[in-house]
Amino acid sequence: MPKDHGIGASPKRREDVRFLTGNGQYTDDINIHGQSHVHFLRSDVAHGTIRSIDTSAAEAMPGVIRIFTSADFEGVGGVPCGWQVTDRFGEPMQEPKHPILAEGKVRYVGEIIVAVVAETLEQARDAAEAVVVDIDELPAVIDMKAALEDGATKVHDDLPGNLCFDWGFVEENRDAVDAAIKGAAHVTTLELRNNRLIANPMEPRVAIGDYNASNEEHTLYTTSQNPHVIRLLMGAFVLGIPEHKLRVVAPDVGGGFGTKIFHYAEEAFCTFAAKAVNRPVKWTSTRAEAFISDAHGRDHVTRIELALDKDGKFLAVRTDTYANMGAYLSTFAPSVPTWLHGTLMAGNYTTPLVYVNVKAVFTNTVPVDAYRGAGRPEATFQLERVIDKAARELGIDPIELRRRNFIKPDQFPYATPVALEYDTGNYDATMDKLVEIADIRGFGKRKAESAERGKLRGLGINCYIEACGIAPSNLVGQLGARAGLYESATVRVNATGSISVFTGSHSHGQGHETTFPQVVAEMLGIDESQVDIVHGDTSKIPMGMGTYGSRSIAVGGSAMVRATEKIIAKAKKIAAHLMEAGEEDVEFADGTFTVAGTDKSVAWGDVTLAAYVPHNYPLEDLEPGLEETAFYDPANFTYPAGAYACEVEVDPETGKVDVMSMTAVDDFGNVINPMIVDGQVHGGLAQGIGQALLEACVYDDDGQLLSGSYMDYAMPRADDLPSFTVDHSCQTPCTHNPLGVKGCGEAGAIGSPPSLVNAVVDALSEAGVTHIDMPLSPSRVWSAIQAAR
Amino acid sequence: MPTVSMTVNGKTVSGEVEGRTLLSQFLREGLSLTGTHIGCDTAQCGACTVHVDGVAVKSCNMLALEADGAEVRTIEGMANPDGSLGVIQAAFQEHHGLQCGFCTPGMVMAAADLLAANSAPSEAEIRAHLDGNICRCTGYHNIVKSIQAAAAQLG
Amino acid sequence: MDLKGSRTIAADRMTVWRALNDAEILKAAIPGCKEMTGNADDGFEATVTQKIGPVKATFKGVVTLSDVIEGESYRISGEGKGGPAGYARGGANVRLDETDGVTTLSYEVDAKVGGKLASLGARLIDGVAKKLADQFFENFQNAVAPRSDDEAPDDDDTGREPEKKKGLIKKMFS
Repeated sequence: MPKDHGIGASPKRREDVRFLTGNGQYTDDINIHGQSHVHFLRSDVAHGTIRSIDTSAAEAMPGVIRIFTSADFEGVGGVPCGWQVTDRFGEPMQEPKHPILAEGKVRYVGEIIVAVVAETLEQARDAAEAVVVDIDELPAVIDMKAALEDGATKVHDDLPGNLCFDWGFVEENRDAVDAAIKGAAHVTTLELRNNRLIANPMEPRVAIGDYNASNEEHTLYTTSQNPHVIRLLMGAFVLGIPEHKLRVVAPDVGGGFGTKIFHYAEEAFCTFAAKAVNRPVKWTSTRAEAFISDAHGRDHVTRIELALDKDGKFLAVRTDTYANMGAYLSTFAPSVPTWLHGTLMAGNYTTPLVYVNVKAVFTNTVPVDAYRGAGRPEATFQLERVIDKAARELGIDPIELRRRNFIKPDQFPYATPVALEYDTGNYDATMDKLVEIADIRGFGKRKAESAERGKLRGLGINCYIEACGIAPSNLVGQLGARAGLYESATVRVNATGSISVFTGSHSHGQGHETTFPQVVAEMLGIDESQVDIVHGDTSKIPMGMGTYGSRSIAVGGSAMVRATEKIIAKAKKIAAHLMEAGEEDVEFADGTFTVAGTDKSVAWGDVTLAAYVPHNYPLEDLEPGLEETAFYDPANFTYPAGAYACEVEVDPETGKVDVMSMTAVDDFGNVINPMIVDGQVHGGLAQGIGQALLEACVYDDDGQLLSGSYMDYAMPRADDLPSFTVDHSCQTPCTHNPLGVKGCGEAGAIGSPPSLVNAVVDALSEAGVTHIDMPLSPSRVWSAIQAAR
Repeated sequence: MPTVSMTVNGKTVSGEVEGRTLLSQFLREGLSLTGTHIGCDTAQCGACTVHVDGVAVKSCNMLALEADGAEVRTIEGMANPDGSLGVIQAAFQEHHGLQCGFCTPGMVMAAADLLAANSAPSEAEIRAHLDGNICRCTGYHNIVKSIQAAAAQLG
Repeated sequence: MDLKGSRTIAADRMTVWRALNDAEILKAAIPGCKEMTGNADDGFEATVTQKIGPVKATFKGVVTLSDVIEGESYRISGEGKGGPAGYARGGANVRLDETDGVTTLSYEVDAKVGGKLASLGARLIDGVAKKLADQFFENFQNAVAPRSDDEAPDDDDTGREPEKKKGLIKKMFS
């Protein structure tokens, strides 16, 4: 029978009540007395020199408080990049200044030129229309390969060109990989594009700056996945505000998917302007603004070669990728195509040699950064597509080809040729489970049924592995991270035994307020209702690196476990005193302390009360109170892995693809709340299917974003998707964190695109189609069918 | 500025609005009913869905003045009189039909609209009805389950 | 976006040419044009209200004539800023050929939009541009012919009717 509480149970989410009754508090729901509103005038050309800005007419308009241009930001730092990649020649990447408001030039449609602060939003908007900006338009560079050609227009005049970096990994293997490919019995090559996406959390970004002149304290309310990171980046690198004078609050946040990790100019502006005008300053993004100001995702163009021996054993993988950075470097942009991508190119396989080359390129487009999966979907897509193509070329069943190359359970821990050490896994087990629950053997029958209806049915499968909870800090520091990647937690036990856990993880849909108490309550043997989670406010939580990269339970949860262990250790000392026993004889279970071999016991509440009312207390040995903090810095990533299957029906007359089923088998190690884990996978699958089938961020040659609304950018809707089949019963617990957990937030988005594309190619294989680039829109599919005929 | 009056969640309210004030703005800013969310500017996402005279409408696509004299119901008016979750709300919690919660008010209002017209919708009918409500978190799987469960309970 | 077309105007080439350089006629012909001032040599200033998909905007901008070959061809181009809606710019290469007193006006139109117009309206722009170009030349055609009616009592008027018939008959039998 399933558990009804604690780890492994699925209690209903406690945060739901406020969300279901309209009582959530999102940033836009906050209104501070006396607040003013800012409207940003953004560039509508992709590249140009600003000749003049005339704000005089606008300044005279009703309600206008102040109009800002870059001239008001002299001495203020640019938006910093949090990761420095070193290229394959040992040189640091090109890192252009990223101003808060455009300085001298505009470099993408959407870049802020002027900020109008007024009494009301309408007045700010009206006044912005009266601002006259004279821009000398320059040619825009949009295509990455064209951007690298000699004589191409430069996005940044002060850089040598549009190449941000040329990264090789593992550089020493380059020649060996080439030699292996040259000598191989079979080489499969594939050129593909990982389509550019826009994250589109349903809550647009919001920032409210507030300043208290009497104590010089700044507060920023912002839609962030990591308020402490914003405090660090904005405080230290942009505005020069020390931490104790800067509070960053991220209240209820309506989804993030990566795009709310980054520090944005709007946040710095509102914080800066609140002091400058001595009024709170609020900005709420419209969706139209979100499309041209939220960091975009993906956008890689790749050529991959897979070398195999005559038996289908993988000998080597080589990839050449162009990665779009956009016009400026967003916070973690350089890490995505490099360390979050190249390191995954061994996949679930024993491929001995891998070489990954990545050229990161500046273009006149919105900055590109991490989006759900961040680098790992790109790696998985190339690898699992080329394996499928190889299977077809060699006439080997795609499942069988993968099995021949799997890392076997007895090979763990397994060191890959791309620097990772996988601690655990059982890829055959997840594949076995997939074959069973996706009814792979019944596919032929279903295909025949579809054919009777004039539809082409295809089955696609793929595996994936990902690396979650990026760590440890000393390693990522060597790789170029300009931050640590630990997490902190404070467990505060109150006098009556109730608990507040202060975590640096941030919940924006993941349900931490429910899952984190499950862990603490189980460790202490108390009721979950006695434990509350506090997050999202730098004035309450000691430190936090936030939530992204599927790290919360693995890193933040582990910090909480460590702090709770310290609580238990101290509580045992207090209990020993109360029971007049030796500390080593005290046992703790189910919320009761006992002395081994006796009937002596004290309850949890007796001990916590003694800690705060220390009348009978070992004051000479122990401080009163019961509160502990832990920082947890993981020894390694965690490595969720799995096997996915997708079945599609293609209408050969129209090219329309219907997803008939999507099955996900994931190994997440131990699972805290299966209901929530299922939900995380569902959401990832929807985004993966969205990428593969629907979503396309389209720029024209002049750098105009053509897909800038929900009428143009095809978000997956309810009737685009099937119900899903998900399973996480194959569990190889992580060996290096105390909960044995891996991450589950990104798996669905990483694992699903290749299976969908493999399925469509399977359906069209008899027609001779070998590849179609995502998204597989009806016109692309139809054209591919026609071209193959 | 003109004055607008309407009944919102059973209470008579009135306020001054500009001609261009949207119903969604009036609810959020005028009445502090911030459960109605703004997720887009093209009437596509459905996060702002409310009921006006018993029909689901996107409140970002209606002027406040157009709702003069109307009966409006928002997410804040969906709980039982004793404050406990209504059947549809409870089904969303039971079946994990929400994650970040931002689209949720619109989803609940859209679901109520569907179930008022069709007491036993099929999965396809539910999915078709949700076409104007975008969720980025759940993949809709559990939203569909929640609505099916609510339908079963409401009979 | 590029589109081509041609129209037959029952007037001689120089009449059509003069009309192509006349602010009043251009104002009447440009769809949505609210105001138009200036002259062919220095350029025109225009205010135009247009709706492209969901975006309705009033554009203020300049209309310039370039590559002028008197009586034969020019390029008419316009660029308008629509405030928060973004910008639209476009032009047409116009050429006149006269056969038997009937002028054939051929045009190649190109148009570009930026900002919100691009992100919300790009998928509609081809259709809109085609419609606007058709409207422009339709309006232009109408503006040229009746004006001749009103103003020119002799040659133009007398010459027109038979020529129109001739054109029609020629069409029928060719």
